[in-house]
Amino acid sequence: MKIRTLTSLPAAIILATFAFLPSARPAAAKPPVPAGSPEATPAGSPAPAPAARPPVVRVNSTNQPFDFAKPWDKKQPFLRRGTGAVIEGAKVLVTAELVADHTYIELESADGELKSPATIAAIDYDANLALLVPTEEKFLAGSQMLAPATGARVGTRAEILQIESNGDILRTPATLTTISVAPYPMESIALVTYRLTTALQTRDNSFVLPAIDGDGLLGLLMRYDSRTQSADLVPAPVISRFLENAASGARFPRAGLGFAPTRDPQFRNYIGLANGDGGVYVTMIQPGSAAESAGLREGDVILSADGHKLDSEGLYDDAALGKISFTHLVSMGGGKPITLEILRGGARFPLELTPAPTDPDKIVSAPYLFDKGPGYYVLGGLVFQELNRTYLQQWGGNWRKAAPQRLVFLDAFQDEAPGGPGPRKIVFLSSVLPSPDTIGYEDLESLVVTKLNGRPVHSLAELAEAAKSPVNGFHKIEIEEDPRAIYLDAASVSANQDPLAKHYGLPALERLP
Amino acid sequence: MFRPILAALIAAAPLIAWTAPVADSLVRIEVTSQEPDYRRPWTGGTIGGGSGSGFVIDGKRILTNAHVVSNGRFLSVSREGDPAVYPARVLHVAHDCDLALVTVDDPKFFRGAVPLEFGGTPAIESTVSVFGYPIGGDRLSVTRGIVSRIDFQPYSHSGVDSHLTVQIDAAINPGNSGGPVLQDGKVVGVAFQGYSGEVAQNVGYMIPTPVIRRFLKDVEDGHYDHYVDISLSYHPTHNPALRAALGLKDDDTGVYVGTVYAGGASDGLIHEGDVLLAIDGLPISSDGTVPIDGAPTEMAEVVERKFKGDKVAFDVLRDGKTLKVEIPLERAWPFAMQANAYDVKPRFLVHGGLVFQPLDANFLKAHEPDDLRLRYMFGHYVSHSLNIDHPEIVVLSNVLADPVNAHISDFRYGIVEEVNGKPVRNLEDLAAALEVPGEFTVIKLLGPGRPIVLERAAVEAARDRIRQRYGLASERTLKP
Repeated sequence: MKIRTLTSLPAAIILATFAFLPSARPAAAKPPVPAGSPEATPAGSPAPAPAARPPVVRVNSTNQPFDFAKPWDKKQPFLRRGTGAVIEGAKVLVTAELVADHTYIELESADGELKSPATIAAIDYDANLALLVPTEEKFLAGSQMLAPATGARVGTRAEILQIESNGDILRTPATLTTISVAPYPMESIALVTYRLTTALQTRDNSFVLPAIDGDGLLGLLMRYDSRTQSADLVPAPVISRFLENAASGARFPRAGLGFAPTRDPQFRNYIGLANGDGGVYVTMIQPGSAAESAGLREGDVILSADGHKLDSEGLYDDAALGKISFTHLVSMGGGKPITLEILRGGARFPLELTPAPTDPDKIVSAPYLFDKGPGYYVLGGLVFQELNRTYLQQWGGNWRKAAPQRLVFLDAFQDEAPGGPGPRKIVFLSSVLPSPDTIGYEDLESLVVTKLNGRPVHSLAELAEAAKSPVNGFHKIEIEEDPRAIYLDAASVSANQDPLAKHYGLPALERLP
Repeated sequence: MFRPILAALIAAAPLIAWTAPVADSLVRIEVTSQEPDYRRPWTGGTIGGGSGSGFVIDGKRILTNAHVVSNGRFLSVSREGDPAVYPARVLHVAHDCDLALVTVDDPKFFRGAVPLEFGGTPAIESTVSVFGYPIGGDRLSVTRGIVSRIDFQPYSHSGVDSHLTVQIDAAINPGNSGGPVLQDGKVVGVAFQGYSGEVAQNVGYMIPTPVIRRFLKDVEDGHYDHYVDISLSYHPTHNPALRAALGLKDDDTGVYVGTVYAGGASDGLIHEGDVLLAIDGLPISSDGTVPIDGAPTEMAEVVERKFKGDKVAFDVLRDGKTLKVEIPLERAWPFAMQANAYDVKPRFLVHGGLVFQPLDANFLKAHEPDDLRLRYMFGHYVSHSLNIDHPEIVVLSNVLADPVNAHISDFRYGIVEEVNGKPVRNLEDLAAALEVPGEFTVIKLLGPGRPIVLERAAVEAARDRIRQRYGLASERTLKP
């Protein structure tokens, strides 16, 4: 597939965000409930002060992603709208997806009377949350403010807030049905989510909406499926942790291990698990991870975490949330050490695991790339980039099958990169800008680079460095697959760099990450 | 899309006699075939059928396409001008070049049939006639067109082979397959494939006589040995910097070697980065062509005309020196896994309700697995030398649900790496490893994940139950 035929980025992102837009069939009709009407207010919630503005604002984010096919350019800007929750400290909380690649964020009061530009105080794409600050000081004056709710349980009644065009608040009742740990949209981390059953109408073509219960902000909607009428929330516990992280600059920590359940009785017999025991079987330890530092090994069985016994699926009984995966303790504990009880070779012993955020330098293929231009390096018309999942997602919703398969494989199995594991990136030849230097190379694309001028290439920076030292007057680019090696005339490349940039309208021939 | 042009089964009907002697040699072939089911490899497969064309050649033989007779269970033929229908049998079949020889034991069949003779490769723009029994009627059909192009093209029957092909603009339709293409009373090709009308119009392909003659010569010893191959990739040297870096003069000759496929004929003899200057004394142009019969022809054609055991000689530029390298040619076996297979029984093994099958093109077509690793290993099997560690890729293709495997269904499409610590490099390895006695069978799959563990006693206890429930006629086929 030619890079020139990449799916446009706005389309790809819309797909990701509005994957559950209702179909042409309208959602079940439901009479709108006027704001503040007694039926719509959950039991025990304080009646809103009549003069106060509601704790929600419209968020209009103009976003302009980079064009990964021409990484020096940006794509067409587009507008995305959502409803933000006004939280304590006069800030506005939305999902990170809403403002990804933003160029301009505007807040608008529910009644439309006030507007203010906003800046991002904190953003965490892993947890899908962004904290916005209005630049107009008085914008949130007189507004109600929400605090993260505590004590939500399965069965908790909630309301989802939407803003009508006349400024009224549309409150749709919802019930919390499921609390579980699930992958977040960036698939970079699994955190606790709330699933609500609710029959939402469409407003502003967006399902980025706050949900509240009598106690405060229950969470932010990040997905809505109109068919099953289920909404997935970034829940209050994640919001609280995100706000603490925002204050301290911390990120969500991880263990860096993979595990499998131990339900299979034949497997239990084989690894010597007694009948009453639960526990999960460690299948993978990420190199350089907290799990590796803790001394965990593949084949270990984790029996308990901080004294909580795990069942054979890895769930424990959480006092607040009910049965939930033990990874919740890892990701939500703020990086505090956790004591794991391990079964290894018949012996049981404790191990201390100190969860830590992933070091971006140790990630081979980044799970996302927003807000900053993708790195690139142009050498005589050959365009090189570093692999990341956002690049692959340019191929659309079916990218796992449609994108170049070698790159999809390396993104999925990052430890199996050529040259072995270790801190490195995948540099690949993404496309060719035909020039006199590239005659015969025009069709090359999506090829993993192994060496330049005899030097191993583990990053664009190394590629750029090696490009300074041509050998015998040639640049020799070695690639993993056919044609294996290509050559450029170093003198000709140097002489042609500026004309090439001018000819194709490149503002710069490189942007190193 | 390429499609083989075998017509759906059409009832045989009497045909009027054709005036030309050519017509007396034309044969309509009816085939009942049975296509193996790679999802249920223990069954015989789906019974279907079709019809194609063929023609009588010397030695009481009928030449047709391999895809006409593939997976055939029963063949019958009828000849133009003879109302009788005769049972027939396949003599030789070459799936890599889509040709087959059929014969009829009843001597009456060949009475009055004049064996057709072969001509050369027709010139571009010259007129040819296509004879056969295509869709649209029961009688012999003739269409006429001109030779549009002579080129290397993929042969869709095997899916991995490319040979010399002649493109003609005469209508070629389902049922034409195997029919002769004539010019001046001689056969210049066998009609074999075309595009569906949605893709391209007036594009039909025939197998030209160099390919036919090679096939007939190959089977002279009573056995078809397949095409041979040099098993390397080569690339044009158009780029001036590339030419200079490789030490080539500005004379538009030479191609350079990208990948030498592990285990292939050139492995160890040709190096990656070598420049091939001449093949059997013929200079190789920078675009990979050599002059054959005065026309620039893909250099592969030199190898195409050779046989198993033959050699090909290259003039090679390596490290600034020119040397001669001889390559003993052999079949490109590493690619066989990626080729469509015919006339073979699917190999498989069932153990505790787990179905294991080797990965190949037929498997992939039947299962269409989404598994990323499986698709990668198929697509890059040769180019990434995966064939060295995995002479065969053994896949857990299905789990026949039973209490013994209640927690194993998630492992479907995993690739078996080892069993009880022994590496599994093919289905036979797996069969042998499962025979070794022990309390547990521990199956490790490629990539991260827990091993599959089966208790021997539980598997034995489940054996008859699974066989009966799922109607397993047998638990294994190791030999195709």
